[in-house]
Amino acid sequence: MRSRSRTGWRRVFNGVNAATFVVFLFIALPLYWMIASSFKTPANVGATPPQYFPVPVSVQNYSVAFSQNPFGRFIVNSVIVAVVATTLVLVLGTLAGYALGRLPMRGRGTVLVVLLMISVFPEIAVVSPLYLLLREVGWLNSYQALILPYTAFFLPFAIWILRNYFLGIPHEMEESARIDGASPLRTLWSIILPQAWPGLFTAGIFTFTACWTEFLMALSFDSATNYRTIPVGVALFGSQFTVPYGTLFAASVVAVVPIGALVFIFRRSVVSGLTAGAVKG
Amino acid sequence: MTTSTRTTGVVPAAPPRRASDEVFRRKLARLGWGFSAPALIVIAAVTIFPIVFSVVMSLSKVNVSGSGFSLSGVTGANYSLLFHSGLWRYALFFTVVYTIITVAVELVLGTLIALVLERLTVGRGWMMALLLIPWSMITVINAQLWAYIYNPTYGILDQILSALGLGTPVVLGTPVPAIAALMVADVWKTTPFVAIIVLAGLVMLPQDYYEAAEVDGANGWRTFWRITFPLLRPTIALAVLFRVLQAFGLFDLPFVLTQGGPGHSTTSLAMLSYNTMFEDLDFGPGAAVATSTAVLVLIGCLAFLRVFRAQVGGQA
Repeated sequence: MRSRSRTGWRRVFNGVNAATFVVFLFIALPLYWMIASSFKTPANVGATPPQYFPVPVSVQNYSVAFSQNPFGRFIVNSVIVAVVATTLVLVLGTLAGYALGRLPMRGRGTVLVVLLMISVFPEIAVVSPLYLLLREVGWLNSYQALILPYTAFFLPFAIWILRNYFLGIPHEMEESARIDGASPLRTLWSIILPQAWPGLFTAGIFTFTACWTEFLMALSFDSATNYRTIPVGVALFGSQFTVPYGTLFAASVVAVVPIGALVFIFRRSVVSGLTAGAVKG
Repeated sequence: MTTSTRTTGVVPAAPPRRASDEVFRRKLARLGWGFSAPALIVIAAVTIFPIVFSVVMSLSKVNVSGSGFSLSGVTGANYSLLFHSGLWRYALFFTVVYTIITVAVELVLGTLIALVLERLTVGRGWMMALLLIPWSMITVINAQLWAYIYNPTYGILDQILSALGLGTPVVLGTPVPAIAALMVADVWKTTPFVAIIVLAGLVMLPQDYYEAAEVDGANGWRTFWRITFPLLRPTIALAVLFRVLQAFGLFDLPFVLTQGGPGHSTTSLAMLSYNTMFEDLDFGPGAAVATSTAVLVLIGCLAFLRVFRAQVGGQA
């Protein structure tokens, strides 16, 4: 933007690039450390002084994590919970976001503000009553014990994102569909949705990431080995005195890379979702 | 967020032209409630109902047995226990101080990063994508990674510190370094979030102000404080609000990294509440901790919205 004309070496070696490089190192070095450690041999993970590069490169940690430890199971649990909850959030959120964005409902402003407050409410406030209620109905250590709370907790933010997208779609096509006698549900399905898929996508990524990373409820409701999600499995792995970091990082890399890749590829929609509040104001 | 709420009142609905339009409008409104009902019912059942229930629990004597639980009597005992407990007061103090310091550091670093990336001509998209990775990372994994870095026997931090001649302190073994270690892990994970939000705000600022400033010969420092910062204030306020709320619920990081220790030095309000309920099985006092945390958050939010509205009132 405020570009000064630069010549020769000043093009490459300037303050902006140097600062960018520092930022790059700040973010990338801890990530490198996790990935590099996962490829060390189990003995080298605890070497003093630490090995800077994994020599020799070994995948033994990966085989230990997935054949001798139930990390595969944890990943499957996380996928089941996150996929089902995200699907529910998108279906319910689309209907509600459409209604709150485009239908003339009285009091929808209040509803939206309440939703916003719920979406930032500290989880700890609901964990104990939910725990007792889930225990009462015998749902502790089950998939629904997480699917239901995740759906409810991540719906408000998804509704906000979707509503903002629905608001931006021109009214003309909807009007003409209405005049042609299409039902509102049909209008939503065949006129609105095809134009709103970036919004659906953004809401989907956000909800999925939130489910994938949530820890407190997963720990409280589903701590039995068979139902642990990745965060719970990772947190409770190892004993008080020794944590097998190699195994842990192998499992972590497998848990982090798919989401990281997804976010990396679809960075535009993620950024637009993150800034939805700021930009749409 | 705050800025969005302003738009809710002005959503354009087709203006009613005839009586039949008015009937149609009402029909649409009913339909709207129908469409929203499933989502609102799920949200109410799983969030609002438990919040109310939590308040009730915090005001009752809760008896938990192997088969179920029962509530008896209305009592302020849970709260009086809380307010007289040194643990709760320390947890409150720790959570507030932790929130203020981490959010302040993240805000400064995040703004600096955003200002740098805004001037970056090549590879800005790649840097943005890199920033998103810590944001999308599971906090518990982040905590384990830093536990490995801080490890007293084979951690890389001791290696770096002793190479710099700073000795090899046991980072997680003493309160102040342990708190600092926790903050570093938090800053690494969440500064990128602040940077992304501020960068998005920066990109949207009108350029003519800067041209005028350049003509007037203002330097970078003055330009930032006189033009960029005032224009960015709503964006920064939004980032701060999100981060404060998140930091106040601090749980995942200390659970893995310090287990609330050494002693109780890193026990946040959320950890105290969790331990009271699930370790000691004292659901009444645990609910009192949770409810008081929620009330504090609510008061903080409302106060923030007031100040914030007053500040941007002129521009909006």
